[in-house]
Amino acid sequence: MFNPLPVVVADYRRNRLLVIITLALIAIAMAIGVAVIAQERALRQGSARAADDFDLLIGAPGSPTQLVLTSVYLRLQAIPLVDGQVLAKAMRTPGVRYAAPIAFGDNYLGHPIVGTIAAFADRGGSLPPDAGRLFARRGEALVGAKVMLPIGAKFRPEHGAHHESHADHDDDHDAADHEHALEYTVVGRLPARHNVWDSAILVPVEDVWAIHGLPTGHADADAQIGPPWDAAKLPGVPAIALKPDSVSAAYALRIAFRTPQSTALFPAEVLNELYATLGDVRDLMSLLALATQVLVVVAVLLALLVGFLARARQFAVLRAIGAGRHYVFAVIWLEVSVLVAGGAVVGLALGYGAAELLSVVIAARLGFTLPVTFGAEELLLAASLAVSGLLIATLPALLSLRTPIAQGLKG
Amino acid sequence: MATGDLHVSELSFRFAGQASDLLRVDQLSIAHGQTLGIRGASGAGKSTLLHCLAGIEPVDRGSIRWGGDDIAALPAAALARWRAQRLGLVFQDFHLVEGLSALGNILLPASFNSWRASPALKQRAGELLARVGAPNRRAELLSRGERQRVAVARALLFKPEVILADEPTASLDADNREIVSALLLDLVSEHGATLIVVSHEAHLLARLDRQLELRGGVLHEIEESHV
Repeated sequence: MFNPLPVVVADYRRNRLLVIITLALIAIAMAIGVAVIAQERALRQGSARAADDFDLLIGAPGSPTQLVLTSVYLRLQAIPLVDGQVLAKAMRTPGVRYAAPIAFGDNYLGHPIVGTIAAFADRGGSLPPDAGRLFARRGEALVGAKVMLPIGAKFRPEHGAHHESHADHDDDHDAADHEHALEYTVVGRLPARHNVWDSAILVPVEDVWAIHGLPTGHADADAQIGPPWDAAKLPGVPAIALKPDSVSAAYALRIAFRTPQSTALFPAEVLNELYATLGDVRDLMSLLALATQVLVVVAVLLALLVGFLARARQFAVLRAIGAGRHYVFAVIWLEVSVLVAGGAVVGLALGYGAAELLSVVIAARLGFTLPVTFGAEELLLAASLAVSGLLIATLPALLSLRTPIAQGLKG
Repeated sequence: MATGDLHVSELSFRFAGQASDLLRVDQLSIAHGQTLGIRGASGAGKSTLLHCLAGIEPVDRGSIRWGGDDIAALPAAALARWRAQRLGLVFQDFHLVEGLSALGNILLPASFNSWRASPALKQRAGELLARVGAPNRRAELLSRGERQRVAVARALLFKPEVILADEPTASLDADNREIVSALLLDLVSEHGATLIVVSHEAHLLARLDRQLELRGGVLHEIEESHV
């Protein structure tokens, strides 16, 4: 058994800078592809996970995307309100476990304050508070995992949603962005959901209605919160989150609430449409990444080939002093293969690193965690690059063997 | 027949496309342990003859017997093995592997047929390095004289029966020419190997047992009086 490593290591050592640049080029080309694929998947999984808590959404007829973005991702913006009668109807429709109004308009230090019911806050009992308890009366608040308010803390909501742009703020400055007289007390903290709701403050919907001078669904002086409400005293709400009893009930409810007064949708439906668009973009980016990868690898291999041809004398000397053809073949093949395969592995790691970094940045903007996971697609990409490298490496190795020793010695 | 005995008969060689032979060697015999110098004008074919004797350049006709092996008839793999085990080659331009240390270069031929050099071989490489008096630095950091000394040590790693040297001192200054010539001859003498040197250097050729001149593709014996 022969050992080509001394020559391979010596060549790498001698051409250290070239090796590093080559490895970096291959790794970067690989990383771009991996990051695009991993990031798109993370975005899909993260956004789908954020929608898990919303089986069926009801809103005013209009843009389904806007309804999902506003209620599921709390990208708060003015959307048409669905009439209070629709909420009343939802409450009494068979097959509904709970119908939760989602009302907003205020914030505290940038945390959106969402008015809803206790059943939605703990997702029908499946998400009990980590600490404290659910709100039980007006003026009580339940904070998400990322809200840095201790239990017992008191705060006054500010009018306006923090997500709005400065221009919007300036326009509305006189009428908005002022503190309300109501003071909330934090009574509980929800476990982390790794989505934008971790930054939200949940309060009885009646408080949000009352602050904005709307009827509360109860007698005026009534301090009661949550259903049953008096249908005649229910104001409009941006969205209603419906929890159906079963899958079949969910489909029935979707049909029942698709009326001239309301629309009903599964957030997953809207997300799938977004994913389809995202998928097209991803395909295009993947193609670009692949093209970059191919171009870089071809350029690198051509440079290596030229380098090997220039080293014909070195290989001729090795053969003259006793190295067999297989030894010289192994030296060249190993030198190329290790670079390409090493670049693929480093690129895989770099790609995941970039995807993780992008996730942090995007999560901060979108409000939900983007879980970066290993996928077969990226591994396949890395494996194909590595295998291509191993195969392509045979080309300069074979070419070098075609040069007769004596001719190689003459240089 | 000793493995360092050389018998060449009816050898002819021409480059592809040439009308006439570059080399015609009807008979050439060298006894094991003998030292032979070959001189001749530039382009006379001295290096080509040496390459033929090393099995590097395939001949058109004839046989080249080193001991019992006709290397002109050996297949490529066997020829590579023969060169690795029986032959030591010294080049004008040293041809060390840059990036490898002096010791690594001396041990390099060991990697052609084994994964790891034996402790005995490592010890021998160390002794050779000490004997040629070169520092154990990376090849590109050695002076020209040091590089050639390391190249001589590399050629002697497996105690070959045959040493072929192509202009071993031509690239060196006067001091190093003397040092390398003396070293080469001393080491060959110590090992009892056959040495064939192609050279223009009269001072080196004068120290060898025999001298031949290559003229018109034919070898001519040079009488001692003309040396």
